[in-house]
Amino acid sequence: MYRYDSFDQKFVDERVVHYRAQTERYLAGELPEDEFLQLRLRNGLYIQRLAPMLRVAVPYGILDSRQLRTLAHIARHYDRGYGHLSTRQNVQFNWPELAEVPDILQDLAEVQMHAIQTSGSCIRNITTDQFAGVSEDESVDPRPYCELIRQWSTSHPEFDWLPRKFKIAVTGASVDRAAVDVHDIGLVVFRTDSDEIQFDVKVGGGLGRTPVIGQMIRRGLPVRHLLTYLEAILRVYNRYGRRDNKYKARIKILVRAMTADGFRDKVDAEWAHLEGSPSTLTDEDLARMQAHFQPYPYDSQPASIDTLGSQRLEECAFDAWVRHNVAPHKQPGYAIVTLSTKLTGVPPGDVSDVQMDLVADWADRYGFGEIRISHEQNFVLPDVRFEQLFELWQQATSAQLGANNVGLLSDMICCPGGDYCSLANAKSIPLAEAIQRKFDSYDYQHDLGPLDLNISGCMNACGHHHVGHIGILGVDKKGAEFYQVSLGGHAGNGASLGQIIGPSFSRKDVPDTIETILQVYLDLRHEDEPFLLCFRRVGMDPFKERVYANPD
Amino acid sequence: MPTLIKHDKIMEDDWAIVEVEAPADGIRRIVPLEAWLPESGDGLLLQGECEPDARYCVAPLIAINFLVFSDGRGLSLAVLLRSRFDFTGELRAVGDVHPDLLYYLNRCGFDSYLMPDERSAQTALSTLAPYTDYYQASVLEPNPAHRRTRRFA
Ligand code: SF4
Repeated sequence: MYRYDSFDQKFVDERVVHYRAQTERYLAGELPEDEFLQLRLRNGLYIQRLAPMLRVAVPYGILDSRQLRTLAHIARHYDRGYGHLSTRQNVQFNWPELAEVPDILQDLAEVQMHAIQTSGSCIRNITTDQFAGVSEDESVDPRPYCELIRQWSTSHPEFDWLPRKFKIAVTGASVDRAAVDVHDIGLVVFRTDSDEIQFDVKVGGGLGRTPVIGQMIRRGLPVRHLLTYLEAILRVYNRYGRRDNKYKARIKILVRAMTADGFRDKVDAEWAHLEGSPSTLTDEDLARMQAHFQPYPYDSQPASIDTLGSQRLEECAFDAWVRHNVAPHKQPGYAIVTLSTKLTGVPPGDVSDVQMDLVADWADRYGFGEIRISHEQNFVLPDVRFEQLFELWQQATSAQLGANNVGLLSDMICCPGGDYCSLANAKSIPLAEAIQRKFDSYDYQHDLGPLDLNISGCMNACGHHHVGHIGILGVDKKGAEFYQVSLGGHAGNGASLGQIIGPSFSRKDVPDTIETILQVYLDLRHEDEPFLLCFRRVGMDPFKERVYANPD
Repeated sequence: MPTLIKHDKIMEDDWAIVEVEAPADGIRRIVPLEAWLPESGDGLLLQGECEPDARYCVAPLIAINFLVFSDGRGLSLAVLLRSRFDFTGELRAVGDVHPDLLYYLNRCGFDSYLMPDERSAQTALSTLAPYTDYYQASVLEPNPAHRRTRRFA
């Protein structure tokens, strides 16, 4: 993984000093509240319903065991003993003291971490496939390009005061696990027949109030032009994006207003001036960055898969865990393990300091000390040997991180909602729990097959409800908390936005409504047909009819 | 009282943005686009959303107005005037210029700042250069950091 050199280290060290001075001026009354707000937002500090919330950047979701132990320390020392894995692959702390944030940043800087640009109208943390660099279906490892974009976008002089927040995602695999279609810029990196690395560039995707699937504006951009082309897009957005209405300020609204063709023309005209400028990447630049992401020294004598077979036969819970939580690795004898945080009764994505320390230990013992955070709010251990899987599963299970539900109904994405977030219309965590309780049976969930259920507490869509196969959105109905249900959304390849089934439901009615929806699916599905495909085949009507049928 | 920062220090201002009245003796005028004539020797006042134009570059001074400090359009306009139209005169930030933001402004090519009051000018001077260096290229530094210093050691 990427390691700081002295330049990076100096930058984050100076960031701590800089931010500490701003905090001190604010606390001394020298910096007005509304001005400090903009400055602290560029450093990940929100003031939430109950307390400040600090979002720590985990660049493209990758961290090492030492960094995770520091996050555990922060949870223990400055917070209430837990942190939250966000849908942007970051880690959030819900209870830090504003005055202590500079100390937290200091602790982070010591392990090459920071909170720069994790909120505010600027280029946010770059996200990618949580299996980047190790997955079997990858054609190009996206991590070097994520890091190049991270560096380029850090305190960019021109693009730190955009009309609105700006999210960039990159994938290099055939299965899109980074949801590139619903980002302000989605990049798909691939290798051509002549072994050249190129990017397909999509713009204007996004969720929020106006969900949109991104549109392709450039196919096959040679890698050397990556940063200058991004510069052209950002300049067009910075100059022409709307600033009069924050709900219309994202790039998707601009792309829609200009049309994708019009937007592309504008970007190309701008890029004509930038092509070949000194920010163009040289072979040497690329080689240097790629050198940071070389494969680990894997054991070339892979363990036999036989042991795994007998263990799976003996323990059906382990067998299910392997089936759902273990993904194929490009290196024979190794596997990618997802540690699910989605245990009934625990808010999705919440992890305790003890769990963080344990995951860090496992990363050292069952891998090369590296951990990933997925946008589905789970931990990933990327390099586990086959013969260690059983032991890891046992330990994970006893630490409440062994749920065998990755990709199933109870592995839901859920925003912090009304329990924490001041923007919420409704709570989301208690609803997630009620649904998990109702569908607790593994056999039932397994029978349902792959199912993404996503919950957001308001239109801002942090819980990605638009792209849940089943999406739930908290709405305000005359001051009461209600929930709107949508069906048919999807975040990966061939992304689609969910359609609203009809009038919203009270919280107590949502689990039964979900049950009815699932029953319709079970009744109508063809053999082995997943929920999404079944919905796409039969459409909304059968679901609608049964859900709103008059009860006798 | 508005206070000018130029060459990293507080300076007397010999320019004034004029709407109707003529400025005092020895003070040069900065006028809005509608009132500006290229040969006049007047400074030109632009809003952040203006389209840059090669014609403007004969002005000895261009002031870009920030309606609110968080509106980044003035930053792009400055970059374009400097890097695309090779404007070499004084480029001044006026309006809601925030003392904590000068390190963005100067990398976009501004070289003077009309601060809303003396206090904010003092604050700005104390936070002019919070970082030794930056990753990316800018108007001040045409090369990204890894091209200038040894990186990835
Ligand atoms: S979706 Fe709404 S309620 Fe949920 S975290 Fe985002 S802003 Fe808050």
